[in-house]
Amino acid sequence: MSDETPLLDELEKGPWPSYVTQIKRAAKKKKAAKDLLGIQELSYKDRVTHWKHGGIVGVTGYGSGVIGRYCDQPEKFPDAAQFHTMRINHPAGWFYNTKSLREICDTWEQYGSGLTNFHGSTGDIILLGTTTENLQPCFDALTEKGYDLGGSGSALRTITGCVGQARCEWSNFDTLNLVYDLTMEFQDEIHRPRWPYKFKIKASGCPNDCVAAIARADFTIIGTWRDSLRIDQTAIRNYVDNGFEIKTLVVDKCPSGALEWDDRTKELKLNAEDCVRCMHCINKMPKAIRPGTDCGATILVGGKAPIIKGAYLSWVLIPFIKVEPPYEEIKDLLRKIWDFWDENGRTRERLAELIERVGLKNFLKEIGIPPVPQMVYKPRANPYVYF
Amino acid sequence: MSDEITPELKQKIIDYLKTVSKAKNKEVARAIDADKHLVDKAIAELSKEGKIEYIYLGASFIKLKED
Repeated sequence: MSDETPLLDELEKGPWPSYVTQIKRAAKKKKAAKDLLGIQELSYKDRVTHWKHGGIVGVTGYGSGVIGRYCDQPEKFPDAAQFHTMRINHPAGWFYNTKSLREICDTWEQYGSGLTNFHGSTGDIILLGTTTENLQPCFDALTEKGYDLGGSGSALRTITGCVGQARCEWSNFDTLNLVYDLTMEFQDEIHRPRWPYKFKIKASGCPNDCVAAIARADFTIIGTWRDSLRIDQTAIRNYVDNGFEIKTLVVDKCPSGALEWDDRTKELKLNAEDCVRCMHCINKMPKAIRPGTDCGATILVGGKAPIIKGAYLSWVLIPFIKVEPPYEEIKDLLRKIWDFWDENGRTRERLAELIERVGLKNFLKEIGIPPVPQMVYKPRANPYVYF
Repeated sequence: MSDEITPELKQKIIDYLKTVSKAKNKEVARAIDADKHLVDKAIAELSKEGKIEYIYLGASFIKLKED
């Protein structure tokens, strides 16, 4: 097979980092990476994919975590004829030390193509390209170092969240602890796919929603507070004295008109009842405004990307809930939702689609939650529009 | 309904699995008229005891472990 890749080479031009350059680096050491370049060049030339699903592959005792990939031109690309992906459950918040990163990479160089993706859209560590024969020994080596497979298929996907209180002062609950706790609690649901389709849980510590949980998760946990914003009037005046246009940049942009600037007393007034906790004022004046102290989260359901039906944004299910260990209320709610979905969902029907089919009223009745005004169904169906 | 996993419940699951080649957890729960959470837990225990095994055919099924 020719080493020439003129079409892929185009992707190396420009100021941005190129994955083609990275694969070429790997190709110097690994034949599988070299064949991967060849397969993609051929795909670009033929304008069709040369990957195919070719059956179920996995490791002993697990029904998910490995995604089988085969090339439809094995005689041309023998070293990438099998190119399975392994999803490895990430540590919450993606904290590693260099030793653990080296361990993962060394293991993958031994058993796979050496190509990785930190991190996939699921949050997992994605190890790209190995053979069926190498799956089990690779898994064994990784589990010896304390790693485990993540979710795939019709299972609970690897639970993920923002970095939370580890690095962010706005987080209203400990996202890392919640992600870890739910991951440990629901091991069976992650590793044994038995539902109609995938189910994703994502947690954001505040309404900035840095992990876009509202658009990507069936069960979205977004930190919020029940009391009112904390405003440091001295710090506010410092902003204004230094030329900050508080009226234009903050007060006029408050979506619910909850803020008022008194130019005479130099005071920012808040009508707490009107605040919708959008975080705009906090983001603009982080030294002067903070979330309240009675913290917890809003739980939303139904976010998903378009596959069977269109994209959905999550909508509110529980307006406010305390998020504290051992998180029993959240776990019970999840189990009720799964039972309802497992019993009533059609094959490849996500939770949002099921709720739309049977009606929000019936869903709420089945899981035992009374309707409240905050459950606006559904405010917007296109998650790709951001303000 | 008791929230304990009893030996009787486990035996009911095994007896049902003798009548089918494979089953999903929810099918087992429905067939023996038991709470699904309990059946999930009992199946996990039976798996650890080596009496049943999981098979993955796109979705997870269970069946009696062959000697």
